[in-house]
Amino acid sequence: MALKESEAIVLRTYPLREADLLVTLFTRMEGKIRGVARSAKKSKRRFGGALEPLTEVRVCYNEREGQDLMRLDSCEVLESPLASEVNYPRAVALAHVAELLDELLPDHEPNDAVFRLALAVLAELRERDIWLPLTYFELWMTRLMGYLPDLSECIVCGHALNGSRAYFHALADGLMCPNDKRLASSELSGESRKLANQMLHAPVESFSELSLQKAPTADLRKYFLQILQRHIEKKLVTAGMLEKIDR
Amino acid sequence: MSKFAEPMARLIDELKKLPGIGSKNAQRLAFHILRSSDEDAEALAGAVRDVKANLRLCSICNNITDGDPCSYCSSPTRNQRLVCVVEEPTNIAAIEKTRHFNGAYHVLHGCISPLHGIGPEQLRIANLMRRVQDGQVDEVILATNPTVEGEATATYLSGQLRRAGLKVTRIAMGIPVGSDIEYTDEVTMLKAMEGRREI
Repeated sequence: MALKESEAIVLRTYPLREADLLVTLFTRMEGKIRGVARSAKKSKRRFGGALEPLTEVRVCYNEREGQDLMRLDSCEVLESPLASEVNYPRAVALAHVAELLDELLPDHEPNDAVFRLALAVLAELRERDIWLPLTYFELWMTRLMGYLPDLSECIVCGHALNGSRAYFHALADGLMCPNDKRLASSELSGESRKLANQMLHAPVESFSELSLQKAPTADLRKYFLQILQRHIEKKLVTAGMLEKIDR
Repeated sequence: MSKFAEPMARLIDELKKLPGIGSKNAQRLAFHILRSSDEDAEALAGAVRDVKANLRLCSICNNITDGDPCSYCSSPTRNQRLVCVVEEPTNIAAIEKTRHFNGAYHVLHGCISPLHGIGPEQLRIANLMRRVQDGQVDEVILATNPTVEGEATATYLSGQLRRAGLKVTRIAMGIPVGSDIEYTDEVTMLKAMEGRREI
């Protein structure tokens, strides 16, 4: 039984037996893993607030041969969402990040790019409005998972979309020009495509001057969520809750 | 073929549905019930029936009660203008143990939990707002858990309650009595420092 140590982000916890917690973690070293935190519900001495969702921790765990579940030995808090105010929109945004990571990442596959993306977006969610960091996270998750289609040309005729209107559909694999759009397609505005291109070439911190409300990125987020939900073949619980937040 | 006679297998299946009870424990409990006297078994069955038949939620505070309003809401000796908001009815017992709180309660029956699809509209907030708007309350103490979800619930409620212009307070967070500062994690220590008071 080897003791391993890694930087990690806590994604979810589930009650297990009388006082244990089953914890899903996204570790830098081994990707997504699941482990049991013994007596974590009963005694806070060993884990404290380290098992709160979206807490960045340094985790020590034992891998048991032939068993999928790790045994969590200790968790040291590196950054906690509880260190700053958690209002309702921020709580939903944090849960959305956790749900996307949990649903999209395969078990035991390290992905440093996604790990760095998650840390950068979580840092931005501590500082500012939720919509821009969330849009950035959804865009980059779509790209890093390999699902992002070309945003500059029509998937049907191959013509460049520069300047012209672009449309997307839940069952289409990319953007379409006005001539090729399907029935019940939604429009992706030129400004949104421009913002997406900027986001693909700059870190999330560089948008700190830009304060966005919900509406300007709504079409972009709808597009990415449609792509992601189609690939995981289920509706994201938190996507529905984000829709109900009005600003 | 089942290992046990049908009534026994049924009892084991029902007991297995209880939280924290696995197959072995369910078997042990089922055999204990089988070996106990008829009176004891009947008393257990009666207690289960009674809980389902006679308990309901208090129309004022949502606490579980056998009479409406509950004993806390109908007590003339308690300060009904001071309301402590908790997540679950079991939290009331923890506060009552202090013997220092003499106000009334309001039970939300949960907290905001986006990962489970629970938003403010799924919680029992409407009758708290009615109590506040009717001018029956001077101060609301938010005693939700010190977790991300509990904090989100408290922040949401404070926003709603402050609009009604009353005093809203949050229970303190920090180092547990009898523990050691050396072993306190950084978030708990931060909250303890933020919530320090003059002595």
